[in-house]
Amino acid sequence: MNHRYLFEQMVRRELRQKYKGSALGIVWYVVNPLVLMGAYYLMFGVIFKATSEPDYPLFLLVGLVVWVFFSQAVLGAAPSLLEQGALVRKARFPRETIPAAVVTVQLITFLVLLGLLAPVTLAIRGTLDPALLLLPLVLVCLFAFVLGFALVVSVLHAYFRDVAPILAAALLPWFFLSPIFFDPGRITQQKAAVFALEWVNPVAPFIVAVRDVLYGGAVPDAPVLAYVLVAAALSLLGGHALFRRMQAELAVVV
Amino acid sequence: MKHSVGFETNVRPGEIVLEHASRSFVVHADRGRTLKEMLIGRARADGPPPVEALKDISLHVEPGETVGMVGRNGAGKSSALRVLAGILPLHAGRIAVGGQIVTQLELGAGFGRDFSGRENIYLNGALHGLSREQIESRMEAIIAFSELGDFVEAPVATYSTGMFLRLGFAIAAHLDADVLLIDEVLAVGDEAFQRKCEARMAQQISAGATLVLVSHDAALIERTCERIAVLDGGEKVFDGPVQEGMPFYHRLMGTEDPVPSP
Repeated sequence: MNHRYLFEQMVRRELRQKYKGSALGIVWYVVNPLVLMGAYYLMFGVIFKATSEPDYPLFLLVGLVVWVFFSQAVLGAAPSLLEQGALVRKARFPRETIPAAVVTVQLITFLVLLGLLAPVTLAIRGTLDPALLLLPLVLVCLFAFVLGFALVVSVLHAYFRDVAPILAAALLPWFFLSPIFFDPGRITQQKAAVFALEWVNPVAPFIVAVRDVLYGGAVPDAPVLAYVLVAAALSLLGGHALFRRMQAELAVVV
Repeated sequence: MKHSVGFETNVRPGEIVLEHASRSFVVHADRGRTLKEMLIGRARADGPPPVEALKDISLHVEPGETVGMVGRNGAGKSSALRVLAGILPLHAGRIAVGGQIVTQLELGAGFGRDFSGRENIYLNGALHGLSREQIESRMEAIIAFSELGDFVEAPVATYSTGMFLRLGFAIAAHLDADVLLIDEVLAVGDEAFQRKCEARMAQQISAGATLVLVSHDAALIERTCERIAVLDGGEKVFDGPVQEGMPFYHRLMGTEDPVPSP
């Protein structure tokens, strides 16, 4: 079966369907996160300055762009199988393509935002360092991690309709606990708290890794890189295995 | 392009093997379960008991055979078809279908309403596993069959019901099928469209495709199918030549020709 072309078509459909007929069209995909980032910047960069990182706006925005990708992708993926219920009930095709298309569209948005942000960061911070070569690897891992997570929440939500609301509720405190507008080591001296903020939250090492490379101009610490690689592999393999196991009854439950 | 549904892999293209197939459904007031139920560990007590949609059904269809599947509403016809299509898994028994399966369970099910007819042809072709080149090579034939003309560039949302159905059928009719699974979709169009679809179906059958057709239209079944399988209450109650099966079906449904009044 030619699933590659199907996937391409599903991405195209996802990309164009949501904002079709609106004046800005697909530009909304970029405008929304930009507004979100502007609001967060106003809040944490201007009103409550959490920490005194140099070039704080860039510190904040680099972390934010990673978070926005993660949160928008999983929020969009969770109800995606139900939204495409007509297809799931009436056609036979690999259902993974539905949440994967949602994540891919958010990846495209993320790369556009990163493409706007990265040159500015590199120029202002002067961090054009060979470490930057690690960025593609980190981004591939981030994509794999988000995709695995999205597969899990999408198939679980098809069976248990509480998953998407729980996820939506969890994302706000999750955001505040993620090292986006602060560096855990600088806001508390408690070792346990720093450890928890840096390692218990699986999104944190991805934020740290992207920020190390882009904003810090340095190679991330080995534990961070190892975490990122392992989290990506576990998420994708585990997510796909769970999806395969649970997808059989999808035509009945959606 | 070959794939098979289920464990059996040594079926020939166009062959259907269904053995002791059973499938039931738990009937809920609304679909899906909530987390509370799972955590408490018990299903909703209210609601009717599980519905046995298919009870120990066996069906062996040779490549090129044409089978009509008939029965009352709720007899299990659509479930059986969805099992053959690989959309619905069995609770017991096994299923194997050889070759490329083309399903028409609902015309235009996958259409994006905001996309043009042409874009939907690409999307639907891709859903059936076709590549861009394969779709493009059939594009003109599909558009011609659909009789949409310039409307093929307009969003599907602007189509009349008839145009929507014509496009849906046109796409499915131009896929190379070893097995055609069709559920009642022909009943919807006008007469000219129905005749055209039947002609196209006959073409595909003479090219060697296997057909399983679900319909309440006895005349259509008699015209298109050599064999008939009658389902009742999830069980197969008749399987044989259509000439013998039709009287049986009419007796079952109570639709025999009325006795001429004296």
